[in-house]
Amino acid sequence: MTDAPFIEIEDLYFSRGEHEIFRGVNMTIPRGKVTAIMGPSGTGKTTLLKLIGGQLTPERGRIVIDGQDVHQLSRKALFALRKRMGMLFQSGALFSDLDVFENVAFPLRVHTDLPNAMVRDLVLLKLQAVGLRGARLLTPAELSGGMARRVALARAVALDPELILYDEPFVGQDPISMGVLVQLIKRLNQALQLTSVVVSHDIKETLSIADYLYLIADGQVVAHGTPQTLDTNQDPRVSQFIHGEPDGPVPFHYPAEAFYRDILGEPPMTKTG
Amino acid sequence: MKRSKTMEFGVGLFMIAGILGLVFLGLRVSGLTLSAPAQSFQLEANFANIGGLKPRARVTMAGVTVGRVEAIELDTEWYDARVVLSLDSELEGQLSRDSIASILTAGLLGEQYIGLSVGGDPEMLEDGDTIRDTQSALVLEELIQQFVSNMASN
Amino acid sequence: MQSKFSNGTARITRLGRRGCDLLEALGRAGIFLFQSAIGVPSREGWRLWLQQMHFVGVLSLAIVLVSGLFIGMVLALQGYTILVDFGAEQALGQMVALSLLRELAPVVAALLFAGRAGSALTAEIGLMKATEQLTSMEMIGVDPLRRVVAPRLWAGFVSLPLLTVGFSVVGIWGGYLVGVEWLGVFEGSYWSNMQANVAFINDVGNGMIKSAVFALVVTWIAVFQGYDLVPTSEGISRATTRTVVYSSLAVLGLDFMLTAVMFGGL
Repeated sequence: MTDAPFIEIEDLYFSRGEHEIFRGVNMTIPRGKVTAIMGPSGTGKTTLLKLIGGQLTPERGRIVIDGQDVHQLSRKALFALRKRMGMLFQSGALFSDLDVFENVAFPLRVHTDLPNAMVRDLVLLKLQAVGLRGARLLTPAELSGGMARRVALARAVALDPELILYDEPFVGQDPISMGVLVQLIKRLNQALQLTSVVVSHDIKETLSIADYLYLIADGQVVAHGTPQTLDTNQDPRVSQFIHGEPDGPVPFHYPAEAFYRDILGEPPMTKTG
Repeated sequence: MKRSKTMEFGVGLFMIAGILGLVFLGLRVSGLTLSAPAQSFQLEANFANIGGLKPRARVTMAGVTVGRVEAIELDTEWYDARVVLSLDSELEGQLSRDSIASILTAGLLGEQYIGLSVGGDPEMLEDGDTIRDTQSALVLEELIQQFVSNMASN
Repeated sequence: MQSKFSNGTARITRLGRRGCDLLEALGRAGIFLFQSAIGVPSREGWRLWLQQMHFVGVLSLAIVLVSGLFIGMVLALQGYTILVDFGAEQALGQMVALSLLRELAPVVAALLFAGRAGSALTAEIGLMKATEQLTSMEMIGVDPLRRVVAPRLWAGFVSLPLLTVGFSVVGIWGGYLVGVEWLGVFEGSYWSNMQANVAFINDVGNGMIKSAVFALVVTWIAVFQGYDLVPTSEGISRATTRTVVYSSLAVLGLDFMLTAVMFGGL
């Protein structure tokens, strides 16, 4: 049954105030693969993850995870579904009042009645997997950004979820911890047979781990395919993003009046009030 | 885990201190007594005028507080004030039948209270009895009026 | 003319929008309170509550007690200079105790509590929101209202009345120090006048009711401001200020209303 998609997003509409973020997004995310969602900053990639996690409700369209429509579920069923998901936040989002060990133990303590000894073994196993078994007594404030993200990853997989959502896992990392994270995501996906969704705009790293890519811009999916097909895509919007060109369909300039008129101090076009 | 033990201890102390404080406010500040209300008996006394006497006012004997005013109501038979006194049960059967209850004032502006003084009757007052001999409150206006009319007549 | 007219309507529209926003926020706050306060506490819940009792209650103890001591001392000093003119300095105990129990202890303790504990609660919850801790808790399948907000709400609700008792006790003791030990009011009359004129139910009891109401309102405002803020550093600092301002206004306004209901009939 690996060919049935794990997540299906159909005709999704969402807006914040006046600002339309999604205008009819369609996606299918296959089971057991790493799917990357890419796009320029401010296109609502994080919002998409929150929609998948059921924290936001779309205006139209639906999101189906493993046969369940996320936004039709009761609160209880939604929380049950969330136990099957892990999410890695941009900032790590470790609980600042707990140490590293307790952070990773947190999901186990709330959702299982395992004896303390078993919780300890499981936590140390997960920490070993991210290479931070020795850091178990540190507080989140004592961790570097990369270490915090690794601890958060250990916490996200503590309950052995079927799906992991990564929100910008590579942002603001030095090359070494970036490499470590890339390794970890790839390894975890293979070892645990996870379905992974990576939201990112770091092209090189994302291309190296993703099995399938979606590129969103202007509230819609502009292209999708395997890394190879996207690399050779002729659409100017796609090639601007993939190859990191400063100017193109996405303009360098924030919308403004004509440069000459602004500089020479001619009376600007005033708003009529 | 040691830190959480001391924290729990601190919170426990905090709550005990709060409850002890409330006990202090009750006993020392509000003057509540631990003795149960069953250990008292009641007498009644009728006054022509109670002045500014209030419920819960003190009842004293030779200056010692021996009880409180329980209730004050208008006796519609005689149109005077019926005051119910609640007294320490030690005094039950110790007060002679001709004891006097008078309404006194603590200082010139102070609160009013009831003073009891014992007579010589061999028969004693029991729970629910009425004190016959009473002195009403001094009302300042009446006093002044008396004084002024005396002056005028002189 | 035309523009003046449209200016006027724009102003009315703005006012209306603010009114709607206010009502909406009140509604959200109400639902928020309801959702956090219901539910049976688990064993884990007790532990979290205890932890918050420490942060909210025990750590506020010092500031509340010291303030109570000074306020009691000042009351005795000021009261003495006025009462001595009427030769009524023996009523000092009564004056100190009644002012503290009925008004000053509940109100001042609540204001201090808003400044010390309320702002800290807002900042803490706000920081948890800004660093996505609340979101990640939701994604782990734990309701932050239950896990984060409820223990703090209940800890505040229990702590403030206890702190108020402490404030009164220390204040009355401070009044004793100044009145009896320093100014020479007769010790017996300090206490007996107090005992004769303070009623447990009417004075201590009503003060406690006030304090419980303030506790609920201040903690509610604090946790709601923290939960509802814009998750940026600017948003946190604004929400912290709002907590102190709103709680102070709410405490003083409610104090008048409660006093009118409790003692206004006399």
